[in-house]
Amino acid sequence: MKINGVHIDDTFAEAFPMKATRIIITAMNLKWAYRAANAIRGFASSVIACGIEADIERELKPSETPDGRPGISVMIFAMSTKDLEKHIPTRVGQSVMTTATTACYSGLDSDQKVSMGKSLRFFGDGFQISKVVNGKRFWRIPVMHGEFICEETTGITKAIGGGNFLVLAKTARHGLMACEKAVDEIQKVPGVITAFPGGVVGSGSKVGSKYDFLSASTNEAYCPTLKGQVKSELGDDIGSVLEIVIDGLDEESINEAMRVGIRAACSYGPSKGIYRISAGNYGGNLGPHLFHLRKLLK
Amino acid sequence: MTALIFTLKTQPKFTLDVSPLVPDNLEGKTLTKIKNLKLVYGKETVKVEELFAVKGKDSNQICIEKSCDKLIYVGQGMTKGTIEVKGDVGDFLGQGMKNGTLTVNGSAGSWTGNSMAGGRINIRGDASDYVGAGLPGDTFGMTNGLINIEGNAGDRVGDRMRRGIIIIQGKSGNYCGSRIHAGTIIALGKVGKHPGEGMRRGTIILAKKPAHISATFKSCGNLKMQFLRLLFTQLEGMDADFELFKKYGPIAHRFSGDLARNGKGEVLILQSLTPNK
Repeated sequence: MKINGVHIDDTFAEAFPMKATRIIITAMNLKWAYRAANAIRGFASSVIACGIEADIERELKPSETPDGRPGISVMIFAMSTKDLEKHIPTRVGQSVMTTATTACYSGLDSDQKVSMGKSLRFFGDGFQISKVVNGKRFWRIPVMHGEFICEETTGITKAIGGGNFLVLAKTARHGLMACEKAVDEIQKVPGVITAFPGGVVGSGSKVGSKYDFLSASTNEAYCPTLKGQVKSELGDDIGSVLEIVIDGLDEESINEAMRVGIRAACSYGPSKGIYRISAGNYGGNLGPHLFHLRKLLK
Repeated sequence: MTALIFTLKTQPKFTLDVSPLVPDNLEGKTLTKIKNLKLVYGKETVKVEELFAVKGKDSNQICIEKSCDKLIYVGQGMTKGTIEVKGDVGDFLGQGMKNGTLTVNGSAGSWTGNSMAGGRINIRGDASDYVGAGLPGDTFGMTNGLINIEGNAGDRVGDRMRRGIIIIQGKSGNYCGSRIHAGTIIALGKVGKHPGEGMRRGTIILAKKPAHISATFKSCGNLKMQFLRLLFTQLEGMDADFELFKKYGPIAHRFSGDLARNGKGEVLILQSLTPNK
């Protein structure tokens, strides 16, 4: 199968179950909402070492936020509810509460919840105030900029992590151009994030390592500098491989994100250094969600 | 299904306890059984049909027509459905209600929402004293829910309330929010003397400067309160009754107190009618 002259490998991306939440950060203006959102998604590229994967989902108009101010929705994924319980209060506390004029609300209605303001309220040192409005409990924490308002909990849901595809290009420059366009298109799909910096992974990994203490290590079959040294998946023409990893709320949203992302990357074609699209999988042993490239592109 | 309608045949001379006429109690009962239910009328017990003409089917949707202030305990303890009253009602409207909606197209007596634990009461006219308050001997007044009074309210609105929201769109009497433990009272009209007297926690939001505020409240100055923005936005979004909150902004003069009770409550006097989002 070829799209615009770019070969699509007959393979599949392998994804695994995760837990996710969506939080809404509002502030005096979008600039400060972005500062908080960028802080919370910093060091949240992969659960391998960061504990969570997080990214900005989209900007919100004042009419879409609980307090009528401009906001940002951020999606946060983790391997378990326990991980979300551990990371949400610390991340919101250190990244959002510390950002001037912000407030933080749940962006996902669900019966299953993890604590947010419920834990952070203690920062108020006894001066915190609880308010129930419209059936939801909010905490007003007095802080030096005024008041930090935080919803007591945020809803969590089942989700899928690790949807992916690989862009095999002539050089990193060529690959990155195509990936940037792909990420732009993926960001238009609701319910998905690309948590790595710029949405692109420069150092995709395989499961395991020769070192016992390491759970993931470099994917040598796709490292151009190791061609000839290992059993490589790369031909002579490939000088760089970049990966786009997608986390989403359901299979359909990841399908759609992969579809639009691959098509956008392929639009550059071989004349602009894009030769092949492949995907990362582990022989079907890692996760129950398989995204076959050729099937989803039909 | 048509609403279950109770129409008063004549104006009662004595107080009439209509607490049995709630969706929870009428569910599954035939019209005949409903007509034969007993109500306490003054010192006597009478059948429903002696005082009311009854028609309709849906016990989850009750309407009381030609009501007057002799009807007491309307909607007592209801946990679901709606009750609409056409006319006035007496004391203890919605006492102990836990859920559902009670609407009075007239005025209500004292102790509206006494011991209320959830649901919503709308009063299109006025309400007398002790809205959402606790009875003497009770630790708390209302513990949850929302009371919306479109007219005026009497004295001691929300006395000892524990949680919930009371909105008074007209004038409020003296001691508004006295001794409240928590919760929110919003008074959009003129307010009498001593709002928040003895309050421990909670929020009293006043759109107009009160007649007098006790010396045991300390000024925190004019502040832009994020909470007001959140509250007004949420109320606006609830239904058309609260679209009026669009005109209120987040800047308020904050008084904390009541220090005589080591209180951490607040009286917020709105400073601007500009939304200033």
